[in-house]
Amino acid sequence: MSRFLAFALAVVSASSAWAETVSVAAAISLKDALGKIAVQYRSDTGNDVEFTFGSSGQLSKQIQGGAPVDLFISAASTQVDDLAKANAVIAETRTVVAGNALVAIVPGDATVAPTSTKELDRPEFSKIAIGEPNSVPAGEYTAQALKNANVYESVKEKLVLGTNVRQVLDYVERGEVSVGFVYATDAKISGEKVRIAYAVGEREHSPILYPAVVVSESKKREVAKQFLAYLLAEKAQGELASFGFTKPPANDTVKTVK
Amino acid sequence: MSDELWQTIWLSLRIAAGATVLALVVALPLAYLHARRHYGGKSLVEALLVVPMVLPPTVVGYLIISMLGARGWIGQYLHHLFSYSILFRIEGAILASAIVALPLLYLPTRAAFSTIDREMEDTARVMGANWLQLFWHVSLPMIRRGLASGLMLAFARALGEFGATVMVFGIRIHHTTLPVSIYLDYEQGEMERALPAVAVLCILSLAITGAYNRSTLSKQE
Repeated sequence: MSRFLAFALAVVSASSAWAETVSVAAAISLKDALGKIAVQYRSDTGNDVEFTFGSSGQLSKQIQGGAPVDLFISAASTQVDDLAKANAVIAETRTVVAGNALVAIVPGDATVAPTSTKELDRPEFSKIAIGEPNSVPAGEYTAQALKNANVYESVKEKLVLGTNVRQVLDYVERGEVSVGFVYATDAKISGEKVRIAYAVGEREHSPILYPAVVVSESKKREVAKQFLAYLLAEKAQGELASFGFTKPPANDTVKTVK
Repeated sequence: MSDELWQTIWLSLRIAAGATVLALVVALPLAYLHARRHYGGKSLVEALLVVPMVLPPTVVGYLIISMLGARGWIGQYLHHLFSYSILFRIEGAILASAIVALPLLYLPTRAAFSTIDREMEDTARVMGANWLQLFWHVSLPMIRRGLASGLMLAFARALGEFGATVMVFGIRIHHTTLPVSIYLDYEQGEMERALPAVAVLCILSLAITGAYNRSTLSKQE
């Protein structure tokens, strides 16, 4: 036992002498893409990265509560704004790393599918899954689109709220709801199990952008910045694009109040 | 108190009451049967009735969804024939809470049936009572205290059920139970907003366990 412990300690200390591990809290919609990018990051830099995935709202609350995170990647600006106001993040490091689109999906075997947000109040769409609008950005964008189409109040009773966007996807995959709102990238991951009914117009909600920001409490700011730069470089951007994420706009650095 | 809180309290009470009735329908005949008869597989049935006491409610939720969800073993046929799925429906919440509350009703009822004076039952039988009369007029009145305490505990447990309920009932606007609303507020970082629901649950649970204590203590006297 003691020999095993000594061995384990040697391994741990040896690896920490060479490599740093950056802790990243990221919107769950990035899960698959970041997982792949992390593998390349490890082999390219020798540094390691560990992730916490969840709804951006949930993660932002955890960071405010002092969770040991170096870099936060949100699916909306709201959560980063909140953290910036509380001085929990270094506002100057804020950079948009990707964009996305919102789509309405139905189960793969569904016989009816809406063609626009206005149709959602029809009775055949008996249950509609969206992210919980206060903590899940996909839900926030969906609520905007529903309000824009003046159907929010009439569909309110039919809404089922997911605590993150992947739960919404899961509800649709399992046929538990007739319609769900997820990102185009989530629908792509799911393959045959869901079908895109229609893409929600860009003007129906605020732009879907993923801002990344270094956390103030981080003791590894340099590694966090290195990983952020890695995300913006061609290789990672290519990987993100292959998952269906859009390129960040040219003026990708959105500074907020310092 | 806000309308939304009243709505949540009312829904929670309805689910807990429904769950208690459902648990009663299952527990009462089986408790009577098990206190009186032996049959093959009895210990397995008893184990199934009591296991929710130690099983994490998330396992109960998982099993309900695997059985009765739209893609479940049985659920897929219900979904195909009637577009029915137990998820997000009040009967799902009732079923989840009933399973979790079942042992708390079954165990005291079973214990009460085993301790009643068999001579009373035999006398009634000799006097010509059929099994239903025997059960209704003789056995049941004799276990009323044990049954009442079981009902109180089961109701309190059903009222506080969270894990299985959040999985099966989901989270819906105007359709949350008290425990689910607390979790939702917490998850959104709105601890203060959860305070009324926390207070209501504390008061209700204390009132029920207080009544339970009084009834069990008076039994001992």
